[in-house]
Amino acid sequence: MLNRRQFLAASAAGLFVPASALAAGWDAIEAAAKGQTVYFNAWAGSDTINAYIKWAGDEVMARHGVKVEHVKITDTAEVVKRVRDEVVAGKKDGSVDLVWINGENFRTMKTEKLLFGPFSEQLPNYQYVDTAGKPTTRQDFAESVDGLESPWGMAQLTFFGDSTRVASPPRSLMELAAFASKNPGRVTYPAPPDFHGTTFVKQALVESAANAPALARPADAATFAQFEPAWAALLDQLHANAWRGGKQFPKSQAEVTQMLADGELHVGLTFNPNEPANLVAAATLPASTYAWQFEKGTIGNTHFVAIPVNARAKEGAQVFANFLLSPEAQARKNDIKVWGDPTVLAVEKLPEAEQAAFTGAAAPGSVTHPGPALLEPHASWVPQLEQAWLSRYGKG
Amino acid sequence: MRRLAALPLAGLFLLPLLLSLALVLPGLTDAAAVRALLVHPQFSGALGLTLLTGLASTALSLICALVIIFASGGAGLARRAGLFLALPHLSMAIGLAFLIMPAGLLARLVAVFAGLMAPPQWLTTQDPWGVSLTAALVLKETPFLVWAFASLLNRDDLRAALQGQAAAARSLGHGPASTFLRITLPQLLPQVKGPLIAVLAYGLSVVDMALVIGPTQPPTLAQLLWTDINDADPATAARGAAGVLLLTVLAGVVIAAAAGMVHLVQPLWRRFCAGAPRVGAVRPQHAAWLWSAWSALHVVLVLVMILQSLAARWPFPLFLPEAWTLKAWLQIAGDARPLLTSFALAVATAAAAVLACVAWFETQPQKADVIPAIPAILTLCLPSLLWALGQYRLFLALGITGTWAALFFAHALPVFAYAFLFLRGPYRAFDPRWQQAAAGLKAGRWRTLFQVKLPLLKAPLLATAAVGFAVSVAQFVPAQLAAAGRHATLPMEAVTLSAGGNRPLIAAYGLALMALPLMAFTLAGLLGRPRWRPS
Repeated sequence: MLNRRQFLAASAAGLFVPASALAAGWDAIEAAAKGQTVYFNAWAGSDTINAYIKWAGDEVMARHGVKVEHVKITDTAEVVKRVRDEVVAGKKDGSVDLVWINGENFRTMKTEKLLFGPFSEQLPNYQYVDTAGKPTTRQDFAESVDGLESPWGMAQLTFFGDSTRVASPPRSLMELAAFASKNPGRVTYPAPPDFHGTTFVKQALVESAANAPALARPADAATFAQFEPAWAALLDQLHANAWRGGKQFPKSQAEVTQMLADGELHVGLTFNPNEPANLVAAATLPASTYAWQFEKGTIGNTHFVAIPVNARAKEGAQVFANFLLSPEAQARKNDIKVWGDPTVLAVEKLPEAEQAAFTGAAAPGSVTHPGPALLEPHASWVPQLEQAWLSRYGKG
Repeated sequence: MRRLAALPLAGLFLLPLLLSLALVLPGLTDAAAVRALLVHPQFSGALGLTLLTGLASTALSLICALVIIFASGGAGLARRAGLFLALPHLSMAIGLAFLIMPAGLLARLVAVFAGLMAPPQWLTTQDPWGVSLTAALVLKETPFLVWAFASLLNRDDLRAALQGQAAAARSLGHGPASTFLRITLPQLLPQVKGPLIAVLAYGLSVVDMALVIGPTQPPTLAQLLWTDINDADPATAARGAAGVLLLTVLAGVVIAAAAGMVHLVQPLWRRFCAGAPRVGAVRPQHAAWLWSAWSALHVVLVLVMILQSLAARWPFPLFLPEAWTLKAWLQIAGDARPLLTSFALAVATAAAAVLACVAWFETQPQKADVIPAIPAILTLCLPSLLWALGQYRLFLALGITGTWAALFFAHALPVFAYAFLFLRGPYRAFDPRWQQAAAGLKAGRWRTLFQVKLPLLKAPLLATAAVGFAVSVAQFVPAQLAAAGRHATLPMEAVTLSAGGNRPLIAAYGLALMALPLMAFTLAGLLGRPRWRPS
């Protein structure tokens, strides 16, 4: 983590670049980007997201002559591996131009110097980013961003269900376990390392930790060992009455949602607080659906886009990243009917005309019981959690 | 000239295979990676599941195939079995999952009678013992074995010999079942060793079907290794590579053990064969339903996928969707690239394979066939994870990952292997007197080839092309590794989607995946009909 002085110095460095130089540099980037094809490697587990990416790609094609190809992936770790393999093999014109990323994958690429940049704070639309109100736009899982990835959207772990089946929302994991004991087999979560699953077990870590501040610091096996018993006890309590007795887990969050729509499960989970409303709007879930967060908070973070060091279309990738940050693209993404992914921008900093596009009228399926966003534990906790989860619950 | 004609097969098949194996085999010496695998918390569970699903599916497929052959006498099965063969494994897994999942058609049928309002808490898909994966494998491998038996029984000499012996057995008082067990079985089984080994190796190492319908906690070994070799962490990827080699050794050990078992059982079997004649109550007619059940099940699976692909909203326990949509199909049509990529690769690899094989057979002596035959058999009997991983390393070293060339080679390897083995029999069995007659009529070498020989071999040539086409369309592991995300084929899209929740789209991809090879087989069947028959 950065200390305060480094933090201020870094911010100041960004501020003192003369605006004209920035603009001239940006014109050159836009000129070079024209005609490039950007291979955007992005998780493709959701139709609404895929449709949004397609829209954004079509717009940049029309406006800047940059072609965007959505490379549909299931796990961003595959992309990290591919870039590393290519870099090791000395391949200069890599297969990835832009990747949707955060957390552990970002940390891996940053430490192994697999990222191009810094570039994000020089993007013209970066000026609107809510770096003060949304500190996770500069601290990704307690890892300093340093301009190596451009913020795209905000996320917070959110639960949802049908009010006819879930009369009052369980507002902690203990309450969720109590709900499961009354409704055996109707609660579950995706198996880690699916990122929703990993986030769920992180939530369990945060809720069971006796010493919360330690979670923001790097952890080794010995540190984790102190936290593991309480963490496992909480999960054991939930698993006892979970779907398939906590012996098997769905593969993805989308599968959980589908099982919720079938009535096989009673509680769904998402990283996008507006997804339930989006699903109601799409008639996938009934209008009696509602969403909630935990009383003491749920894990929240920011997701980003980054450019690999061996990208072929670095300029095109920057132009696309800048478009994704634009008030227009962010407002559309924020729209519950389109995707509903919360914006990274400070809406009040925007010109008034642009602000109107960010209307947040309550819709069926919206979050009725909000909770504070909790910071992600340091990225080094993730491998420990995943390993321990596999040892305890991965054997059936 | 003669040497040059061997180049396509050598350059497009033998050389890439050998280089790939050379690049992947040194991984076995990575002791740290092997140790890491052995202490993986899911290793022992995954190993057990792999053995269970691999052995159970092979044994059950063999039993089903034998019952079907017994019921029909083996006549006229090859055609329908060939058609089943064309259907990709992945489509079967997708269809079966939709049928048996807790909110599937079967559960809805039960719900109608039992008055269920919520999906039952069935342990069907992802069941911890891999039963659904085994069922999907049996569904797919039985027709393959039936086809292998039926092709044998289509050989006039063997059929005549068997019929004569069966008649003799009957006159000695043996019933049909007794005759089958004592006369037919002992002569057929040794001849299908190859297909059986391929079935076992496939069952032990299948990735794509397991990802769709297999157990997850723990997964099968092949799934575990697939996750590992795609991992961002180099140590984990190395663990996966070491595991792939271990899986290969395991397959070898299992096959050797099975062969040993056969050896042990043989004396007992002989004693049984020499026993007193049994009339027995079992008649072929009693087993005829099994083959019909196969056809019926395939029809049901296709129907389930069609329903699912058109369902906009299908709340449980309704037996039919509440709202219909063409969205999934429009989406496939709207971005037809995966479909076209699969199609283009299948056409290119199948055509290249048939041409290269013809060039080989025309110019190389028959005794040289063993040079490509052994690698071809090896390709079918080694886990695809092994050579695909080697290929990926080769492409990386050449800097061609993500290119069409890499995709072509990745698909070509299994296509060439199947094409060579498939075409070798009919091509080498061609009666040389046709050529002698043509030469006597002063036709040149080329004219004889194009106007006499190839037209007479039209049916097997087209059938080989269709098999190659189907094999290419079904590739997942090598395609996914070689494509580097730059290209998507139908199976890649289908597997990616199967982790998500868009059932209409998954079903539509399952059907599209099935439609391509069916089309190829139908076309080959139509074009391959002889215009005239030599009497």
